[in-house]
Amino acid sequence: MNAPKHAFAAMYPELGTGPVSTESAVSKEFFELEREKIFRHQWFSLLKRDSDIPNPGDYFVREIEIVGVSVLVIRGDDNKIRAFHNSCTHRGNRLVHDDMGCTVGMQCDFHGWTFNRQGELAYVTDEEQFYDLDKSELGMPTIHLDIWRGFLFVNFDETPDQTLETAMGDFNQDLSPFAFDDLECIGRYRYEVDANWKTTMNAFQEGYHVALVHKRSAPDAFTGDDNPYCHLPKVKLQDNGNQSLAVPAAPEHKLSPTEELAFKFGSTFTQGVGNTEACPGTWQGEAENWGFDLNIIFPFSRINVGAGWCYVDAFWPVAQDQTVYELAYYFPKPVKPSQMISQEFSKVVLRDLSREDLATNEMTHAALMAGSINKIQLSDQEIAVRHLYKTVTARVAD
Amino acid sequence: MANRLPEEFSDLEGYADWAEPTEAARMARRIGATMAELTDYYSTVLPRMEAIAAYLDQWDLPDLPDTAKRLLYIGMMYMEVAVAVELFKDPDVPESSPVEKLTVLTEHGERALLG
Repeated sequence: MNAPKHAFAAMYPELGTGPVSTESAVSKEFFELEREKIFRHQWFSLLKRDSDIPNPGDYFVREIEIVGVSVLVIRGDDNKIRAFHNSCTHRGNRLVHDDMGCTVGMQCDFHGWTFNRQGELAYVTDEEQFYDLDKSELGMPTIHLDIWRGFLFVNFDETPDQTLETAMGDFNQDLSPFAFDDLECIGRYRYEVDANWKTTMNAFQEGYHVALVHKRSAPDAFTGDDNPYCHLPKVKLQDNGNQSLAVPAAPEHKLSPTEELAFKFGSTFTQGVGNTEACPGTWQGEAENWGFDLNIIFPFSRINVGAGWCYVDAFWPVAQDQTVYELAYYFPKPVKPSQMISQEFSKVVLRDLSREDLATNEMTHAALMAGSINKIQLSDQEIAVRHLYKTVTARVAD
Repeated sequence: MANRLPEEFSDLEGYADWAEPTEAARMARRIGATMAELTDYYSTVLPRMEAIAAYLDQWDLPDLPDTAKRLLYIGMMYMEVAVAVELFKDPDVPESSPVEKLTVLTEHGERALLG
């Protein structure tokens, strides 16, 4: 594939072509502005689907470090999924200590106040000792939760300034027909990264690094004679910060004996179930030698789709110099044991490949902090990195 | 000692300890092994993988008896080992974020099998 030179800059001339300042990645003050102006107002993907908590009482807990809140998400007896601050309305103690499970209700281990699966206060120990307690007003504090094509999102704004559907609006035409409902989570991972969230995420926003960083895990799956530097066949950048990038597959990719086995038993991340026909909700039909799509939901979460599989991930900012990278793979729900063995192949390769992606972040961040360089040089293939800095800087200045 | 794997796979009995039930344990075993051990596991189990799949597919996943479950874990361990042998030529992932930074969380399929 020979992309016309500087094709993306021509599509998005407002982004410019010059070096980009590292100030927003190294400044603690800038991070505080991001927290106030961006993170407190955005819909966050929790990287979970409604099908991950299928039954009444199924729950999970997620610490959202950037706002300092422990969030409990639980399916009620009415089958509705709700999000709450994981705190007792008595004196604020944490209610649920496990990461996930199924429960008939939440009992505080401090004084025994008990909440039902809808978050309502059901029981107060020694209630007569209180004065004018109105239990109906003392349910667990709620957090805005909405669902987009099965994916759970929360928003910490008192009154979110846009609906989730609007926030995801620019993806709808691309992503919404994707067959998410056929998939089940087969693997979930969490990394602690000592680097700014943007520096961390930048390593996942271009194909330029693939030939070097993934020379072992993917020596020929995404790069080949035709496209040695993994040029992206499609890029779409939105004013709201959302991005879609198509990543190419190399047609000359040779299957190892194990990948051949995995494909025989099921589907793999390079030889998907939809490989012979266009997979709805992706760029497969339009991009030559399509591999998979990265869909970045501003500011830091993604729903990435391949032929019959997807992975979701997020670069959770914790502090100016700390990020939690979480990712989860969704593949067709295995029925037969051999399918589970097959999926283990893709899961292990992709997991190890993500460790390669994270190899450079901390050293890069350290160099930026030291002031070794104060601006970065970005090629046309790294236009999504440029777009992220541009969007974040504009939002913070708003 | 009684066989821990199905009788048809008694040739793999020496690897019964490698039948780790979680991805976190399989990854730790791989990274803690020597390349010689991994290569040996790889070359012993690879020619048996099709037979393993055919044997296991007598059942749907929720109905697997315990000895068959162990064989399933041998098959999943094979994938973990094969990636080290075929791609990385090293038990760990060279030039990557250190494994200590990674937490592998368990998911539905794995938990369902653990019961």
